[in-house]
Parts: sequence; structure tokens; C-alpha cells
Amino acid sequence: MNTTIRRISVGIVAAASVLGLAACGVSKAPAAGGGEAAELSDEPVSLRVMWWGGDARHERTQKVFDLFEEKHPNITIEPEFSDWNGYWEKLATATAGGNSADVMQMDQLYLASYADRGSLVDLGQYDQLKTDGLEPSVLDMGRWEDALYAMPISTTSTAAIVNMDVIDQVGVPLPDTSTWTWDEFGEWAAEVTEASGGAVYGTAQLGNEYQLQLVARQMEDALFEDGKIAIEPETLAAYFQLGLDWITSGATPSASYMAEQASLPIDQSDFAVGKSATVFTSSTLITAYAAASGAHLELVPIPTLDGDKTKYDYFKPGMYWSVSSKSEHPAEAALLIDFLVNDPEAGKIIGTERGIPANSDVIDALEADLTAEEKKTVAFAESRTSKLGEAPAIVPNGASDIQTILLRYQQEVNFERQTPIDAANALIAEIESSITAAG
Amino acid sequence: MSIAELRQLAQNRGRGRSARSTPDNKAALAFLGPWVIGAVLLTLGPILASLYLAFTDYNLLESANWIGTANFERMLTDARLHKSLLVTFVYVIVGVPGQLVVALGLALMLDRGLRGRAFYRSAFYLPSLLGSSVAIAVLWRLVFGGDGLVNASLALIGIQTDMSWIGNPDTSLLTIILLHIWTFGSPMVIFLAGLRQIPTELYEAAATDGASTWRRFGAITLPLLTPIIFFNLVLAIINSFSSFTQAFIVSGGTGAPSDSLLFYTLYLYQEGFGSFRMGYASALAWLLVLIIGVITGINFWLSKYWVHYDD
Amino acid sequence: MTTEIDTDRTLNGGTDRVSTRTLTTAGVARRRLRDPSRHPVRSALKHVLLGLGVLTTLYPVLWMVVSSLRPDGQIFGNPSIIPTDFHSENYAYGWTALGKPFSLYLWNSAIVVAGSIVGNLVSCSMAAYAFARLRFRFQGPAFAYMLVTIMIPVHVLIVPQYVLWAQLGLVGTFLPLILPKLLATDAFFIFLMVQFIRGLPKELDEAARIDGAGHGRIFFQILLPLMKPALATTAIFTFIWTWNDFFTQLIYLTDPKLYTVPIALRSFIDAQSQSSFGGMFAMSVVAVIPLILAFAFGQKHLVQGIATTGLK
Repeated sequence: MNTTIRRISVGIVAAASVLGLAACGVSKAPAAGGGEAAELSDEPVSLRVMWWGGDARHERTQKVFDLFEEKHPNITIEPEFSDWNGYWEKLATATAGGNSADVMQMDQLYLASYADRGSLVDLGQYDQLKTDGLEPSVLDMGRWEDALYAMPISTTSTAAIVNMDVIDQVGVPLPDTSTWTWDEFGEWAAEVTEASGGAVYGTAQLGNEYQLQLVARQMEDALFEDGKIAIEPETLAAYFQLGLDWITSGATPSASYMAEQASLPIDQSDFAVGKSATVFTSSTLITAYAAASGAHLELVPIPTLDGDKTKYDYFKPGMYWSVSSKSEHPAEAALLIDFLVNDPEAGKIIGTERGIPANSDVIDALEADLTAEEKKTVAFAESRTSKLGEAPAIVPNGASDIQTILLRYQQEVNFERQTPIDAANALIAEIESSITAAG
Repeated sequence: MSIAELRQLAQNRGRGRSARSTPDNKAALAFLGPWVIGAVLLTLGPILASLYLAFTDYNLLESANWIGTANFERMLTDARLHKSLLVTFVYVIVGVPGQLVVALGLALMLDRGLRGRAFYRSAFYLPSLLGSSVAIAVLWRLVFGGDGLVNASLALIGIQTDMSWIGNPDTSLLTIILLHIWTFGSPMVIFLAGLRQIPTELYEAAATDGASTWRRFGAITLPLLTPIIFFNLVLAIINSFSSFTQAFIVSGGTGAPSDSLLFYTLYLYQEGFGSFRMGYASALAWLLVLIIGVITGINFWLSKYWVHYDD
Repeated sequence: MTTEIDTDRTLNGGTDRVSTRTLTTAGVARRRLRDPSRHPVRSALKHVLLGLGVLTTLYPVLWMVVSSLRPDGQIFGNPSIIPTDFHSENYAYGWTALGKPFSLYLWNSAIVVAGSIVGNLVSCSMAAYAFARLRFRFQGPAFAYMLVTIMIPVHVLIVPQYVLWAQLGLVGTFLPLILPKLLATDAFFIFLMVQFIRGLPKELDEAARIDGAGHGRIFFQILLPLMKPALATTAIFTFIWTWNDFFTQLIYLTDPKLYTVPIALRSFIDAQSQSSFGGMFAMSVVAVIPLILAFAFGQKHLVQGIATTGLK
């Protein structure tokens, strides 16, 4: 190749690299929406909205959009939905490329990561979005450093779901679930396994960040605080120890059995097929489990240390709506979110597809249409309101993988490759360095 | 005319004028045109970008800041990285020969003279069609799970066990290796294509000379197949080091249980997209390129000694 | 008398057309003596071995097909491949995944695949010819660079590449998926064809050159026809890999109306609510049929014999 061609090629390469690098990132935008107008425009506006979910959710959301477009003829909505798998990679890549949707569904795990890095807009500046229909502690969980980066859509609480049919069959009655302690629970669960000859296990293990938070709060500790991991190693070790004890006593299956189960979907899990008497999970999932198992299920509070006397509980937003800091129409986006979350008509269409609505007015509007299981979820939530403590700090920037890290160390303890205290220390160190690095 | 006579003719003509000394640059440009455009615009830019990012703290959402060799220093003490290297190396060392031997063996059996071989070919290729689908995770659990077929078969011969081969960190990698060997269809098809290219006349000539099947294999098939064996070997190594989809699907993206399925690229993916440490992930990518590059380079160098080209 | 093995042994475009029949008569008679089908025990053993192999490779697929006809609750824990139910509801249900008929996803995938196959066949074969038969400056480094592009994991390249496409305004279309194939970015196939071409004797080129052919004619009229197995392999593999490629299609396709089969299949398994395995298996079966057809059709070309021997 002669030198001219060579020079041109080098030029193209250089241009491409510069192009790629320069565009590779959003500079840390200030909390305000990039200076865009906080007023609605009269011009035609198009909003891209991105969310995850199943068919039912897509259908219903589209209906809500149609309704919204009728009320605001100058706004068109372009839906972009996918399922949970790959959603976050897609969002991250799109944001990296400066091409993310205007409105996106957000999760508590990632909220701080996106907010801290300037990818989201402070919704508090937009009057179009009303926030008074929500419980303040719930709304607080959409804040990061005092700005509202995400509007909670729904709430959920953690419960123990028990399969009454299986329990009756095995013949080991439940203790008083309003005051049961972890010890009582552990004993009962082990008894269930024994009485059934191993055909039914007493319980599944605790398994997520929400549950860890609750256990920590029961021990007057906190998982995160001030944007750092704050839990004491002893508390975390106690959490791991609990799981290990259950394996030893037979309350739960063996470590490798549970590892195999981990990748199963809900309707194939032990609890859904009647092989387990208890599962700890989000209270809204009783609907899915009931449908899968066809059994009589009940929502009960999780065990505590002191018989449920401390106010340790909290409602967690199931998911949120956020607005991209690169959106050209943040005011319209805020308007749409207001409609989605606060409007009773919209609420009726979506129903409980995204969980129990965070807006209490919308719950009231839905009252009549709730199924039996959904009523149980709402009733359970109401029963917990007297036990609510202050909202915890949300997952900080740099800890968005807390869920996978927690499961990994839990497995290390389950397989007895690490002692609970070693695992606790290692986990805390890992999260600490991750948060620091995310800076 | 025989090939030998042709060669003679060419040489005779060649003596009459100077051998071609100018390289075929213009022709190369014409044939390579699309590749050059693609290579420069679509891959070189991103490749250089990722090289640059390896020296930064890029987190996907903000501009990248230069941090020098910090990512590479981190690699020295990163226990999960070492674990992933171990997992990947074991997978490559066991899986690559395993798969290629099966592929070659079956390709030889299916090449000529066997009735119904079209059916066999298709049947053997089926696993490769499914290898990266979501259904695989389900199928794998069906076979290797605690209640799975393997245990059922073992029970038939008297070994009672309900061990979960995929739930147990000590055996889970083995199941993935078997999954890899099971999808031998692709190299098998390439071997078949390569075997097809060996002229039957050579076999016939050998047969008329009285050579046995084994001698024909050793003297004709194997040497003429070496370019294809080499190709499959190089690509199998590269692809195995980069193996991602199957471990991802079977472990739900986590590398569980206990990181026993934490393949290198799975770890890279977790770091890049899961933890927003794309700078470190880029550094990991380049370490991988280095490893694969060295091994492939050795492969190419060794190929002088055993690969037989007709040019 | 022809054997069942060898087909189409004539050399296209050459001046010598020699039928292999007259050539090999003597050899055939001799070869018949060594024909494995004359050794019943050996051939039976072969069939048994192959049969076992087929069982292990076919079983999971058969299980999937049979399961797709069972109701959701009876799929798991039932390893039998003997069909006991014929619940076609799974197919009806799965067909309307993500709110649209599955044919939409099949069609979208078909578009991406067709473009990719054409792209790869044209651009990779041309590039392979250059690497294998031509000599030019920077050939060594270019070849090495080509191999490096295979070694880099897609997950680190995706972001810079996405940025590129976003700047060009092409995200949300099929182009980021098809254009690279037209520009020979699938180095795997370039390398494959290089190896094939290097296995073809250079005498063929020389013979054509003596007749006055330039590189163009040598490539199109001599080598390309002989590369049928390599071309068929490229087409089949491109079909299958593109058909199954989830990640890049997910990233670049934003409009659900453009979604392809792999994206649609993943939507059946929802970690947060009910999954429909029956539907997923049903649609997986539907999705795998084109692959099977592609392979069945393509493998004929794959194993077509070639005749370097036509020169004799």
C-alpha cells in the first residue's frame, strides 16, 4: 500500500478512536436537568420509554400510553420493552452511548449508581410530578443525596409465605407467627423435615439484600449508611450462620441441592411444587406462588429476635420511574410519570402488574378489583405499618452487585468453604473497596 | 495432462521470463477492500478504544479518567480473576481435545461408505443448534440434576446417588465440559468438509497399490487433513477461552455454585456490566488477548512441523 | 458404474472435462473388496456405536419436542420422550409472545440472517483469497490483526461500537447487525476459507494463469467453485450463529417491532413472575426448525465432492 493510502488509513483510525472515546461517557451533569425548560412545550414531543416485564405488563402499559396520548395530543410515546434479562446491559450501553430512553424503569440496586454518575434527572424540580400520594418513607427511598432521582411505582414488603396445605399434611402446626423468634422458627422447620421423612423441607434459605437489611435492623444494625457499607461483621456472620444452621439441622436441603435450585424460576421452585413449607420473599409474589402451587398460602411476618417488638420493618419500592439527564423533554417525562403513578384510571389499567401501587389513592381505586391473593398482600402491608421504622439508606453507588456478592458468600458458607465470620469480613471488604472505587 | 506434466510446463514457461517480483498490491486492495473498511472503521476504532479504556476507570456512565496501570496491578491480587483463569484453563485443556477427538472420529466414520450417513450427520449436528439457547439450562438440569437422568442411569447399574452434579462446585465444571463436547457438531462439519476435499483418486491409487485402511488413513487422510485440523485446533482454543454463553445460561449469569463456573469472559462481563467497572473489564479483555495470542502464536509456529499445505 | 459416494466430479470452467467413471473403473472393482459394507460385523459395530451416539445427541431435542406438547406442570421431572399428551395450547400461547405473533420475530431474524449470509459469503471469500493467494505489503501483520479480532471478547467492544453506531444514528435498525458482515468482520470465516484455499493446489492457479486469466477469473471461475464445502460451511454457520445471537441483537434493537427470535425466546422466562416453559419449548421447537432445514439443505453442498482431479 502506498503512503497516501497509509496516511488516510491512519487518519480514519485516529478519527474513529477519538470519536469513540469522546462519546464514551456522559460528563457528570449537575442535578438539575441540564438546564432544559421546566415548562411543558406546545410543540410535538416524542418520549421513549423503557421498561422490563412480561406480556401482561407490556399490554397494560401500552393501554395507559394510549390514554395519555389522548389527553396530551402533542406527545407521542415510543415504547421499548424487554424482559429482565439483558435490561441492565441494554440500559448501561445505551446510556454510555448517549442514547438512552427518556423515561426508564429503575430498580433500587442501580438507582444510586446511575444518580451519582449524573445520568438521572432530579424529579423534584418538576411540578408536573406530584408526590404527595406516597408515604414519605417510601418516597425517601427514591432519593439520593436529597434529590428525588426516581419515583417509586409500587411497594412491597418481605414476608414468610407458608403453605398451609403442606403443613397440615405433615402435621407439624405453626408456632404463633406474630411473635415467633428465629430459634422457634428453626426448630419448627427442622421438625417439619423430620416429620415428613425428608419429603418436605421446613424452609428455604434467606436469600436477598432486602432480607439481610431486615435481619440487620432487627439487630439494631444497618446494611448501608451514608453511602457506605455499615453492617458489623458479627451481624453479617450471624446471618450466614443462620443459613448454615438450617442446613445442619435439616430445616433446609443440602448446599448443592439449593445451588441447583437457585437457577430455577419461581414456579419450579420447591415451594411452588409443595416440597417446602416456607419461603422468604416479597409479599407480592404470593400471587405467582399460589397460581403455581394451587395450594392455600398465607403471608406471615418473618421471625424476629424478640417477638416482633422492635420497629425494624420497612416497605421497599418494587420499582421506580426515572428520567434520563440527557432527555430533551424532562417536563413531559415528569408529566407522564405523574400519570402512570398517580392517576387512578391509569392505576386501574395497570392493576398490580408492577406490584402494589405506591400511591394510596390508587390502591383505594383498585380495592374492588383485587384478587384474593392481592387482598392478602395489601392486608399484610397494612398489618406491618405499626412495625415500620425509618427508611434505610438505599444501595449506594458501587454496591449495585450486592445481591450477587451476598449469594456468593452465602454459598461459600453453605459449602463450608469459609466460616461465617471470615465470609462476613471478606464481603464487607469487597463491598467497601467496590464503593471506594466507584467514588 | 497429469499434475506433474503441468508443473513441468509452467516451469518451462517460467524460465523464459523473470519471476514475478512485484507483489500483488493492487489486486490485494481490490479483494481486501471490504475487509479493510470493516477492519478500520468498525473494529480498529473500538479495539483501540478498549485498549485505552483498559488504563482508565471507565464506568459506562461517566467520562473515563486515566489511571495508568492500576487495573493491571489489581489483576495480580484479584482472587476471583485467578479462580476464573483456573476454571477456564481446565475447561480448555480438557474440553478442546475431548471435543476435537470426538468430532474427528465421527467425521471419519461418516465420510464415506456408510449407509444413512446424512441422517447421522444431521443428528450429530443438532446439539450445536441448541447449544446457546435458553432451553439448554433446562435440559442440563434434566440430565445432571439431583433427580436427573445421569443419576437414574447410575441407579440402573446399582449406584444409588442423588447428588446434584450441577449444584456441587466440585463437579459442575465437568458438566459444562461435557456440554461442550456434546456440541461437537461444528468442528465435525468442518472436518467433513475438509475430508471431502481430499480427492478420492488418491485413495483409489493407494488401494490399487494394496494399502490397508490404516495406511491410507496415515498416509493420505491425516496429512491432507492437517490444514483443517490446525484450523479447528486454533479456533477451538480461541473459542474455548472466550466461552461464555453456556456457563452464563446454566449458572444464571452468576458463575455459581461458588464461582465454579466463573469462566473468564463471564467474570469480565460481571465486572463490566454488573459492577460498572468497564475499565477493569477492558484490561481483562486485553489480558485474554495476550494469553490467547501467545498460545495461538505458539500454535502457528509449531504448525510448520506438522501441517501439510499443498502450496 | 458409479458408486453412491462421489457426485459431480467435473471441473467447471476448465478445458478438460474428464468423467471419473472411465478413470476409476479398475479402482472401483478393487475397492469394492475393501468396502466396509462387505464386512458385516464391522459395519454392524459401527452402526451400534453411531446409534448410541445419536441417542445421546437426539435425546434432549426429542425431549424438548415432547415437552412442548405437555402442559406446564408436567414438563419438569418427566424425562420420558414418549409423547403422552398433545397439548397444542403451548404453541398457541407461545405464538403470541410479547404481544405479537411469533412470525414477526421469525421474519426479523430471517432478514438479519439473510443479510449476514450474503455479507459473509462475499466479503470473507474475497478477503481469504487475498490472504491465501496474493502477496502484498503488511500481509503478515494484517493476518495477525485479523486473528486478534477473533480473540477480543464482544463485551468490551460492544460499548465503543455502540457509540459509533449511535453517532451514525443507526441504533434501532438492523444495520449494526448486517453491515459488519458485509465488511468481513467475521474473521472466523476468513481464516476458514484461507485454510481451504491453501489446501487447493497452486497448480490450478498456474494453469489458469498460463491461459491468460487474471486474479478475478482465477478467483471466480477456478477457486470459488472448488470451495463449495467452505462456502456451504460459512453459510450454515452464519445462519445458525446469527439466528441464535442474543446479546448484540438485544443491544441494537430498541423497537419491539424489530425484535428477533432469541430476544423473544428469553421473554418466556421471567425471574420475577410466572414463566411459561411450555410456551418457551414450543417456540424453541419452532425456532429450531429453520436451523434444521438450513443444515439439511446446506449439508448436501457441504459434502459434494470436488474435482481437483479434473486436470488429469
